[in-house]
This record gives sequence, structure tokens and C-alpha cells, in this order.
Amino acid sequence: MPATNTDLVDRYLHAVKFWLPKAQQADIVAELGEDLQSLVEEREAALGHTLDEDELAIILKKRGSPMRVASGYLPEQRLINPAMLPVYRLVLKIVLLWVFVPLFAFVFLGPVLTFARPGEMLLRCAVEYWRAAFMTVGMVTTVFALLDRYQVKFHRADNWDPRKLPGVPGTQNAMTRWNHLAGAIFGFAAAAFWVYLMWQRSEFAFSGGTRLILGPVWRQIYWPVLGVTLTSAFFDLLSSVYPRWTQVRSRVRIGTDICGLTIAAVLLKAGNFVGIVDAHLSAADLANSMAWFNGMIDWTVIAAIAIEIGDAIHEARFLLRGKRAKPAALPSAM
Amino acid sequence: MHTNAASSELFDNLRLELRRGCLVVAVLAQLYTEHYGYALRKALGDQGLAIDENTLYPLLRRLESQGLLASQWREEEKRNKRFYRLSPLGEEVLPNLLAEWREMTAALERILGDRGLASAAESASESKKEK
Repeated sequence: MPATNTDLVDRYLHAVKFWLPKAQQADIVAELGEDLQSLVEEREAALGHTLDEDELAIILKKRGSPMRVASGYLPEQRLINPAMLPVYRLVLKIVLLWVFVPLFAFVFLGPVLTFARPGEMLLRCAVEYWRAAFMTVGMVTTVFALLDRYQVKFHRADNWDPRKLPGVPGTQNAMTRWNHLAGAIFGFAAAAFWVYLMWQRSEFAFSGGTRLILGPVWRQIYWPVLGVTLTSAFFDLLSSVYPRWTQVRSRVRIGTDICGLTIAAVLLKAGNFVGIVDAHLSAADLANSMAWFNGMIDWTVIAAIAIEIGDAIHEARFLLRGKRAKPAALPSAM
Repeated sequence: MHTNAASSELFDNLRLELRRGCLVVAVLAQLYTEHYGYALRKALGDQGLAIDENTLYPLLRRLESQGLLASQWREEEKRNKRFYRLSPLGEEVLPNLLAEWREMTAALERILGDRGLASAAESASESKKEK
């Protein structure tokens, strides 16, 4: 082979080597070099003359770009397991549509309506949404990539039972969907009302000089109450879209019920919910009013506890019924 | 025009899928006797199964890493060449693979025969040879 041809082949093999895994570089390049040399010799024998640079360039071009040739030797790589792609898409859809949109609407609706330049606030909302969405997509993708990298197995995907699949959409009672939607609307309204009523509030002042002083416990429970209310509203919203996700909904309901019971227990333990300041009332009347007011809150909290316990029992029975109805394990697929 | 290009692309993809498994069987069967890469490619091509070098060499490495082939560098005609042959594991696996392939071919033949597609396939094969 002429020197220029050797140089061309060497350059080609060097370019292929660049993309190859380090441990196999020398071995693969030696084999490719041998193959090319055999091909050149055969072609030269057929043509009856030594190949010139152009003829050799045609052979190398036909073989493919160095990166393409090297890619055949690289292990098959992927970011996310294809089997997990439907779950990945579902998680993104839930986060971007069903968490972020209501959350941003909740956070920005007030400022947009009250800000002097609502357009500017809307633009800020959109920018923040895209920033948050971009970061979330990155984080969710990273989590799924890590799950794939460390070969985390999802037993649920293997141990499934066709008899436990959700029903076909459209056949369920339309009322269920509307009930959940109503629950979501009520929940978000309650959360907004809670923020409006209690945000950094330490007292209520009424005309005539009467003041209702809030006990410190209300500051303690402000964020937990908001969190539980929003979570409950969010899952109601989700249930209105996916009414067949009854097991998930029941578990979340039991969770929010337990959180609600904890908050109620903290409230009851604190005792003095409110104090009353009124210059027109005698000390005895003031004490009676405070006792009556605190007693009313006491009973309201107790009623709320009863409702939460009832709801939790109802959901737990629903879950247990589902588990008892669980059929015998099916034989694994062939 | 667009439909022709799309159908040609679709055919190429299907052909690739169809060939993938067959190439493994062919390479393993050919390597009952020892060959180096270039000679193996020639031998397969001479028997009507042309295989691109960019497909063959990575395939040989994959089969070797799976333990189905064994290889060694050896000098022949004053040049170092890497010779491949079926490993003991490959010798154990290949008959099962061939039996499976024969079953599939027989089933496919029955399906084609039942639907009268065999003659259509034959004429397509003839026209391909003429081209």
C-alpha cells in the first residue's frame, strides 16, 4: 500500500479509536485495520493495480463515518427504561398539570387580581411556571434515570392481576366524578378562606372595641391545616379526573384524616383557643363569654374529630374489603 | 411518491428486524469451523447472506462476550488475524436455536401455504433476483 494510503487508513482508524471504549480500543482497531487491509488487497487484485487515494477514500466512505463505525461497539445506552416510560409520562403529567397548575393558580390568582399591573404579574407567573416546570422535568428525569441505572425493580409491574385492573372509563357513575370535583372546589375555597382569615393574624377586632385574641396554638397549626386542606383538595381534583383510582384516594384520605386528628389533638391539648377583650363587659361576663366561646370551639373540634374518625374507618373498611376480595395468586406468565 | 418512500423505509426497517435474528444463527452456524472476520464475511456473502462489516464485527464481539464464541489472534499470511470459532457453550446452544428456527420456518410456511401467499413470496423473490 502506498504511503499516502497507509496514512489515510491510519487517520481513519485513529478517528474510529477516539470513539471506542478505552479497554477495547487497540483490539478493535487492529481487527478493523486487518479487515480493511484484506479488502484493499482483494480490490487491488481485482483491478490489477494499486489503489490510489481517491479509490481508497471511496472504500472508507462506504464503510461509514468513524463515529458511526465506533457506535456499533458501544453498549446500548438509554436514559430511562422503556418499560418505565408510561409511568414517567404519567408522573410528569400529574406534576405539571395537576399539581403545578392549581398551585400556581392558587398562589398567583390573588396577586394577579389585586396587583396594579396584572399583565406584569401574569408574565411573572408564566416565567416562574416554566422555571419550576423545567427544574421538575429535570429532577423527575434524573430520578427515573437513577432507578434504571441501579436496576430498581418494580414488583408491582410483575405481580399484577387482570381482575384488579380499573374499569373502562365512562361506565362509572358520573355523580362520583362530580362529587370529587365539588370536594376539590370546596377544598381549594376552604384553603383560600383559611389563608384570608388567618394569615399572620393574632386577633380579630370588631366594631365597638371588642377584640378576639387568638391563642398561640393557631400559629402552630396554620401551615399544617393549609397543607392538609390543599392535599385533600388536590386528591379530590385528581379523583375527579381518575375516579377509578379508589385505592390511592382511600390511602390519601386515611393519611389526611390522621393528620387532621393530630392537628385536632394539638388544638385540644392547647386549650385556651381565644381570649376576649371588651371594656364594656364586667369581669364575670367576660369570663362567661370566653368560657362559652372556648367551649364552642372545643365541641366543634370534637365534632371534627368524630367526623375524621368516621371517615378514616369508612376508608379503611373500603381498603380492607378490596384486600379481602383479593383473589388467589395467579400463576406467572409463560 | 411519499407513500413509496414511506413503504420502502418501512420495508427496510422490517427487513432489518427479520435479518437480526437470522444473522446470529448464520454466524454461529458458519463458525462451527474457524474463520477470521473478513473470511467469515466472504463465506456468508458467497452463500447469499451478505453482511455489512459494521454489523458483523460488533456482532462477533457481542456473541463472544456472551460466551457463544471463542477467539484468538494468530499470524496467517504474515498478518495478525483474529480467528473466531464456536465455544463449547455455543455448540450447546446452536442446535436448540436451529430447532427453534426450523419450527418457526415450518409454521411460517404453513401460514403462507394456507393463505396462498407462498406463490406471491416466490415471485417477489424472483423479481428481486432479476434486479
